Amino acid sequence: MEAFLRYWMRWPSVEGLIYKYLWVWGVCQSLHFVGMVLLIGTVGILDLRMLGMARQFPPAALKKLIPWGVFGFVLCLATGLFFVTGIYANINVHPYVVLKSDVFLQIKFVFIVLAGLNLLAFYATGMSRAVDRLAAGEDAPPLAKFFAGASLFFWIAVMYFARLIPSGKFQP
Amino acid sequence: MQDFLESIENSGFSSYIRETPSVLGYSTVLALHTFGMAFLVGLSGVIALRVLGVVPELPLKPLKGLMPMIIIGFWLNAITGLILTSLAARSLLANWDFYVKLVAIAVAIVSLQKMRGYAFRDTSAPDDAPASAEARRWAKAMLFFWGLAVLGGRLTAYATYIRIQSAEAVAVAVILLLLLARYLVRRAHRSHVEARI
Repeated sequence: MEAFLRYWMRWPSVEGLIYKYLWVWGVCQSLHFVGMVLLIGTVGILDLRMLGMARQFPPAALKKLIPWGVFGFVLCLATGLFFVTGIYANINVHPYVVLKSDVFLQIKFVFIVLAGLNLLAFYATGMSRAVDRLAAGEDAPPLAKFFAGASLFFWIAVMYFARLIPSGKFQP
Repeated sequence: MQDFLESIENSGFSSYIRETPSVLGYSTVLALHTFGMAFLVGLSGVIALRVLGVVPELPLKPLKGLMPMIIIGFWLNAITGLILTSLAARSLLANWDFYVKLVAIAVAIVSLQKMRGYAFRDTSAPDDAPASAEARRWAKAMLFFWGLAVLGGRLTAYATYIRIQSAEAVAVAVILLLLLARYLVRRAHRSHVEARI
C-alpha cells in the first residue's frame, strides 16, 4: 500500500510545472481561497437560513446557489490535488510523508468526509425536501437545523485545520 | 519609524503570538482571518451575484439580512489583520503588494456600501426586479477588488518577481473568466425572462 501511495501521490509533471513556473503555486493557493469563499458563501447562506437567519428567504430559492458551491468545492478539490501531487517541488518532502505524519491534514480530511456524510444524511432523511417546502418566514424543522449547524461547524473546522497544516510535523 | 515598527514586532504580545509553540497562537489568528474572509467575501459575493442577475430567482430584499454576518466578518478580518501585521510590521510595510491588498480591500468595502445603497434603496420594488445599473456597476467593482485583495493577500509571502509573474498570469485568467461570466449572466437572464413569459 505504501509503495502504491508513494508512486501515485508524487506527480513529476506537476512538480515540473511548479519548478518551471514559480507563480503557479501562489495562484493555485488564491484559487483554493476563491473556491472556499464560494463554498462558504453559498452553502453557508443556506445553513444560516435553516438556523433562523434571514428568514424572509424561501430556502428553495437559496438552493439555486448550490451549483456555485459545487463549483467552489471542485475548485478546492482540483487545487488541493495540485498541492498534494506537487508538494515535493515546494518543500522537498514526499506527499506520502506529509499525509502520514501531518495530523492537521488528516483531521482536515476527516472533517471533509464528515461534511459529505452530513450532506448525504440531509438528503437521505428527507430534510432537503422538507426545507424546500418552507415558505418565506417559516422555521426549519429541528433536524434540518441540526444538519445546518453541523455543516457550518464541519466547514469551519476544515478551514481551521487547513490553516494548521504548515505547523504539522513531518516525520520521514 | 523603523524603531517604532521594531518595538511593535518585539512587543510581548506580538512575540507570544509569533513564537508560541501552541496552535492557539499564530495559526489560530491566521485561521480566524480566513473565517472572516470567507464570510465577508462569500456573503457579499452572493449579494453581488443576485445584483448582477446570475441568480435572478433569489429575492433581493431579504439579502439585506446577511449584512450583520458580513459586518462580523469584516471586523474579524480587521482585528486579526492588525495582529498579523504587528508580527512582521517592518517587512510587510516595506512590501508594495501589501499596499495593493489594503487599497483593494478599501475600494471593495466602498463598493459594497455603494452596491448595498443602490440595490436596497427602492423598498417598494418587487423581489424579482432586476437591480439598477448603478448597483450592477458597484457589484462588478466589488468582485474585482475582492479578487485582487485575496490574490494580494496570498502573494505577500512571495518574492517580487513571482508576484509580477503571478499578476500577469492572473490578468490573462481574469479576462477569460470575465468572458465566461458574461456568457453565464446572459444565459441566466435569458432563461429567467423565458420562465416569466
